[in-house]
Amino acid sequence: MARRYDSRTTIFSPEGRLYQIEYAMEAISHAGSVLGVLSKDGVVLAAEKKVTGKLLDMSGSKEGGYGGSGEKIFLLNSNVVAGVAGITADANSLVNYARQAAQRHLYMYNEDIPVELLAQRLCDLKQGYTQYGGLRPFGVSLLYAGYDPHYQFQLYHSDPSGNYSGWKATCIGANNGTATSLLKQEYKEDISVEDAIELVLRTMSKTMDSTTLGSEKLEFATLTLDANKQPKAKIYKPAEIDALLQKHGLAKKDEDTDMASA
Amino acid sequence: MNSFLTRYSSTTPEADIRKAKELYGEDEDFSEVMWGSTGGFGNLASGVPMFKLPSVQDPSSFLRMHTDDHADPSCRIKIKHGTTTLAFRFQGGVIVAVDSRATAGSYVASGTVKKVIEINPYLLGTMAGGAADCQYWETYLGIQCRLHELRNRERISVAAASKYLSNLVYSYKGMGLSMGTMICGWDKTGPAIFYVDSDGTRLKGDLFSVGSGSTFAYGVLDQGYRWDLTDEEAQELGRRSIYAAGHRDAFSGNTVNLYHVKQDGWKFIGNYDVSELHYNGPGDVPGATGGGYGYDIRVAGRTSTNAPEGEAGEGQA
Amino acid sequence: MDISFALTGKGYVILASDTTAARSIVKMKVDEDKIKVLSPHLLMAYSGEPGDTVQFAEYIERNIRLYQIRNTYALRPPSAASWIRRTLADSLRSRKPYAVNLLIGGYDTSTHQPHLYWVDYLGTMSEVPFAAHGYGAYFALSLLDREDGLMSGSSYHDPEAPLEEGLKTLRRCLDEVAKRLVVTPEKYKVKVVDKDGVREIEI
Repeated sequence: MARRYDSRTTIFSPEGRLYQIEYAMEAISHAGSVLGVLSKDGVVLAAEKKVTGKLLDMSGSKEGGYGGSGEKIFLLNSNVVAGVAGITADANSLVNYARQAAQRHLYMYNEDIPVELLAQRLCDLKQGYTQYGGLRPFGVSLLYAGYDPHYQFQLYHSDPSGNYSGWKATCIGANNGTATSLLKQEYKEDISVEDAIELVLRTMSKTMDSTTLGSEKLEFATLTLDANKQPKAKIYKPAEIDALLQKHGLAKKDEDTDMASA
Repeated sequence: MNSFLTRYSSTTPEADIRKAKELYGEDEDFSEVMWGSTGGFGNLASGVPMFKLPSVQDPSSFLRMHTDDHADPSCRIKIKHGTTTLAFRFQGGVIVAVDSRATAGSYVASGTVKKVIEINPYLLGTMAGGAADCQYWETYLGIQCRLHELRNRERISVAAASKYLSNLVYSYKGMGLSMGTMICGWDKTGPAIFYVDSDGTRLKGDLFSVGSGSTFAYGVLDQGYRWDLTDEEAQELGRRSIYAAGHRDAFSGNTVNLYHVKQDGWKFIGNYDVSELHYNGPGDVPGATGGGYGYDIRVAGRTSTNAPEGEAGEGQA
Repeated sequence: MDISFALTGKGYVILASDTTAARSIVKMKVDEDKIKVLSPHLLMAYSGEPGDTVQFAEYIERNIRLYQIRNTYALRPPSAASWIRRTLADSLRSRKPYAVNLLIGGYDTSTHQPHLYWVDYLGTMSEVPFAAHGYGAYFALSLLDREDGLMSGSSYHDPEAPLEEGLKTLRRCLDEVAKRLVVTPEKYKVKVVDKDGVREIEI
């Protein structure tokens, strides 16, 4: 029965549901999780990479790559970094759209796009795919970590239906329920960006399937202000991620690190 | 075949001449060549409908001389440049007064033009610039005002009506429209006047005058204007101001048309001949102070000569 | 002929514009407001081709308002000025360009800085401490350029001048124009924008 209301995204089921949207959300809840925490002086993002393999050539992302470390975290504009969960191909398309939207804003207004406005731009696009006939919605949720002079640091989440909301700390993707309840317990108002980094890493290590963390499974980024009060996004390189994990005592102890420390 | 057709056709120029021959007889020398000739026959024969043409050597080149090629080369005809119109707001409503002369260059095309366009019972528009432009668009404005009324169950405000017109003419900016108009009326806010022209300018104000004679009208109007004028004084001021322009401006004159807008809509007060005003005044109408408006009439019998006592005037001792 | 002035001071921008609306040699109106309030902390004085001026200003006014409704906050002065300039520059290459000159004055509530932009109908924009359009510019700019203190006890333009002093400096400009320009506007409308927002000042 449900099948009759599956084939077109624009058709409501008799219960008033849009199945394709729900399936898209379902797809995301199996994807590698992305976690974000907002603090007074910065925003922290971490993402779990699901696809790994010994034979995958990671040399491109070794150096950090262009505007991101690989599959999950992207620089959308100088003041916004985003983590994506869902279908990677869809995400790439959205990231490209977001970067263009940010440039368009810069062209018209000679300022960095306000974070919420950028989230709105993407949501307008995503919403369109829940309405126009014959099209599949984007199977992507995003976390936006950004800064603008209107509301300072911000963290937003948007889903395939085109809904978006602001958060102090949140998680999307696999095990997001566990992660958010952990965050709820651990999060404190007026948390510093240093503490936020630790919170993110600890929560991540608890929610991820593997017991130990490493740069091959993790992407990490922060957004802070530089000396000139301008937003500065830092997407960590694999080596930096490992160093960070080491610092917080969360790194896995394999032969490589044993040998290095020996 | 062709000549056979034309002989019996009743709509061709040849047919007109044929009819003329019938009317005037063969001895009156009308030949084919005379149709549209430089001879300037405004009417070939009575009873045949023809365009009225200025009785000059070459009507078309005469008209071209007086068209506005400078403003817009593609827009050939600009009739009625000279005009005087005025409107002012006062305690008793709005007075609207205009002249009635239509000119094409130095040629007086008409002396009985209605330059006040009655948009609806509460709105008046004045006409300066292109007569056709004003008439057409203000009639169109009247339609839109009525539609507004039907849609919204209330009369359009003067502000809204004038804004509609100004947006409309602005969309034609640079395409040769020529209008200088005042939209006058009474709405919820009371009496109101807006000046709107084809540049797209729209100004709210108490007192405006538009047209080639406007400076002359302003001269009288500004000096006599007060907010607390009585109805009669205000009507007289409007009349007197247009007369002044009709007298001094070669492109304005013939007659004055006077309107008064009050809470219950506009009222036509009267039509006054400028020459008559000059020599005899408006006659027995409210507000009239009696006598002709003309300077020579007003000062008849008085002199500036300052001859000492006992000496004759006129400079001849 | 429209005349407008603007100058910045300690935490404020003053804009002044004459109030005449003329057609050929006739003054049609002597109390026309040619300074628009675009948002709680943004002003724009406009002059130029009759018709274009008001149409353009209202277009800008409505769009700035729309942005504010959509985003709850208003555009900041630098962004608003950039957008206005862009609109004018795009219009310049259209079939019917707006021939409008602007002075945009605003107060940035997030950086506490006053901003003043001079924009002409070609889309040239520059941020300046003081500015003028029309014939007034020929008299006032040199006056404002002069450094402070050369004349005993008299001040010209000073970026740190309090409002009282800024208004005195403006008065100086208006007086100079009144003294030397053949046809002088009789009245000016003066508006100020500072941390408290926008207000009109009688001068």
